[in-house]
Amino acid sequence: MPTFEHGEFKVEVDEDGFITDPEIWNEELATALATTEGVDEMTEEHWKLVNYLRNYYMQFGIAPMVRKLCKETGFPLKKVYEMFPSGPAKGACKVAGLPKPTGCV
Amino acid sequence: MPEDRSYKAEKVIERLGKKLNRQVVGSLAACVHCGMCTDSCHYVLANPGDPTFAPAWKADRLRKLFKRHYDWTGRVFPWWVGAKSVYTDKDLEELKDIVFGKCTNCRRCSINCPMGVDFATFNRMARGLLVSVGVMPEGVAVVSKDQWEIGNQMGVLREDYLDTIEWMEETIQDELDNPKAVIPIDKPNTDVVYTINPREVKYDPRTISDAAKIFHMAGENWTMPSEGWDMTNFGLFSGDDDLGGSVASRVYDKMHELKGKKIVISECGHGYRSTRCEGQNWAGMDVDFEMESSVITMRDYIKEGRIQVDKSKNTDKYTYHDSCNFARSCGLFEEPRELLNLVTDDFSEMYPNRSENYCCTGGGGAMSMSEYAPDRLKSAKIKADQLKATGANVVVTSCHNCVDGLADLIKHYKLDMKVTQLVNLVANALVIPEEAEVAVKEPDEVETLKGLFAGKKIMVVDDEPDLRVFYGSVLEDNGAEVIEAADGDEAIGLAMAELPDLITLDLSMPGKDGGKVFEALRKNDATASIPVCIITGRPELRSLIYDRPVPAPEGYLDKPVSEETLIRNVRKIFEVGRAMEKQPV
Repeated sequence: MPTFEHGEFKVEVDEDGFITDPEIWNEELATALATTEGVDEMTEEHWKLVNYLRNYYMQFGIAPMVRKLCKETGFPLKKVYEMFPSGPAKGACKVAGLPKPTGCV
Repeated sequence: MPEDRSYKAEKVIERLGKKLNRQVVGSLAACVHCGMCTDSCHYVLANPGDPTFAPAWKADRLRKLFKRHYDWTGRVFPWWVGAKSVYTDKDLEELKDIVFGKCTNCRRCSINCPMGVDFATFNRMARGLLVSVGVMPEGVAVVSKDQWEIGNQMGVLREDYLDTIEWMEETIQDELDNPKAVIPIDKPNTDVVYTINPREVKYDPRTISDAAKIFHMAGENWTMPSEGWDMTNFGLFSGDDDLGGSVASRVYDKMHELKGKKIVISECGHGYRSTRCEGQNWAGMDVDFEMESSVITMRDYIKEGRIQVDKSKNTDKYTYHDSCNFARSCGLFEEPRELLNLVTDDFSEMYPNRSENYCCTGGGGAMSMSEYAPDRLKSAKIKADQLKATGANVVVTSCHNCVDGLADLIKHYKLDMKVTQLVNLVANALVIPEEAEVAVKEPDEVETLKGLFAGKKIMVVDDEPDLRVFYGSVLEDNGAEVIEAADGDEAIGLAMAELPDLITLDLSMPGKDGGKVFEALRKNDATASIPVCIITGRPELRSLIYDRPVPAPEGYLDKPVSEETLIRNVRKIFEVGRAMEKQPV
């Protein structure tokens, strides 16, 4: 298994860079993962989105539809892409500690 | 001596025998190990020191198995022809890493093989053998399960799908400031049924709103289905023909239920190939509707003047990536380029291109197999260099899989490029006229079409009083003056006396039938130029009309005719007529 190293962190990730154990996730790790997805600073809005994704995943075991994400956080789709340039599936899910989405993504 | 073999290995060998056909056996037998394929595979080019990436080497893993069990040479002289069997589950795992991990089934080697060996075809078959005993990458298993059980590859539930479509409808209504811009669901008898890739609805629905905007501006009579909307098909990637057939028939069945004329397939390479080219064989099913890539639909809208575009709105420097399934396997090379040139000013080719283009490196389902990502990205060096050499800052492609494969390698190799699709460029270039009242052919919009036929006198000829009333009221509601005739002689007399602007004509009537009436009208100077729209319950009589020695009718409809169809066709006849008058002689 590859590892993700950043500052003090050295954690196990899959070959696409998604953490393999959702339990080890914390805000510092999220901030570090964000740097790999073109997010240099995690603003309050970034946290709102990431926390929503994380809570949804912990509850239902899958990533939410982007529709739900926008509805519940109030962010327009365009804003989501501005915050996470690599998109909700790869960028935001990775930062939130979710596994890589399945299928053609 | 009986061989000691695992249950799964036994099953794989058994199934191989059932899957052999002329094409596969031909491919297995024809290889002369000349090495042409080696130079055509991006895996080999990026890993020159590793022979295990060479298509011929990979093919030999399966060829050995074939020779050992199904070719007499291997049964008699196994040591001589390199025949070798599989015995353990570990052998199968090794085969899995080759057929799933070292090839994207892009077929670049196939077209470069002088012996015509289609390696990708039997690589897919080998995948299918392994999948049949449950040996496959986890990502493939998860996606296949969702497609089997939920009906789409991302497990999107019906209500979530409908909710997202409604959201995109609101989005275009806001953007166009027009509450009449709608995304109809399950509307029957439409000209276009639009099918998509689940990633559009789950993660990035901007392509849905863009497409909807284009359909709306073109005044298209279209719908999206509530089921059978996933035109992707993991059966193509996994080699599982049963899954392929099940997924494809879901799309076809819904289409039959909706009685649509044409499936338009959004920009997805493997989805297009599966739905348009392979699905009917997998499903064992004939279909009686058209299937078309949205690339062709959009190109035709622009060429026919149904939408207006302003290419100066797309300001980047573009290049185009041919998807393996869309281009190499299905032959769509020029159509996307034609469209790209209609909506952008600055397009340059990448080299090589068209059928010789290199794989996006994410093909064949590779994006869902994380375990092979390091090899995939290492081998993407070839593609990265190719992209870089174009000098473009945007790469356009007509495949969702390529979008992700390319985006991933662009990030990995830190290229300053973006990936986009034609639908995004067309939508961005759309010219939305001020006070645009696009005449969308929606039933609830008939109100807005009032006066559409104002000043026109239309004669309705039918022996059925109910139908005369129905056609008459539809036409009158739209401003026409309607006169009615119940049989052939009355029709001819009335036409001479009233000289209507258009005649709708039933074919089977007592007395003088519609065919005779039609010929008489055409042969009389006074009525010869009156447009005629045949409306018949007996389409088999069509030849009786077209065989007559007079110009063909302007319209031909089969009963039953809906209100919309009648309006659309009458409009079309009037509009085409006007266009003809304007043309210089």
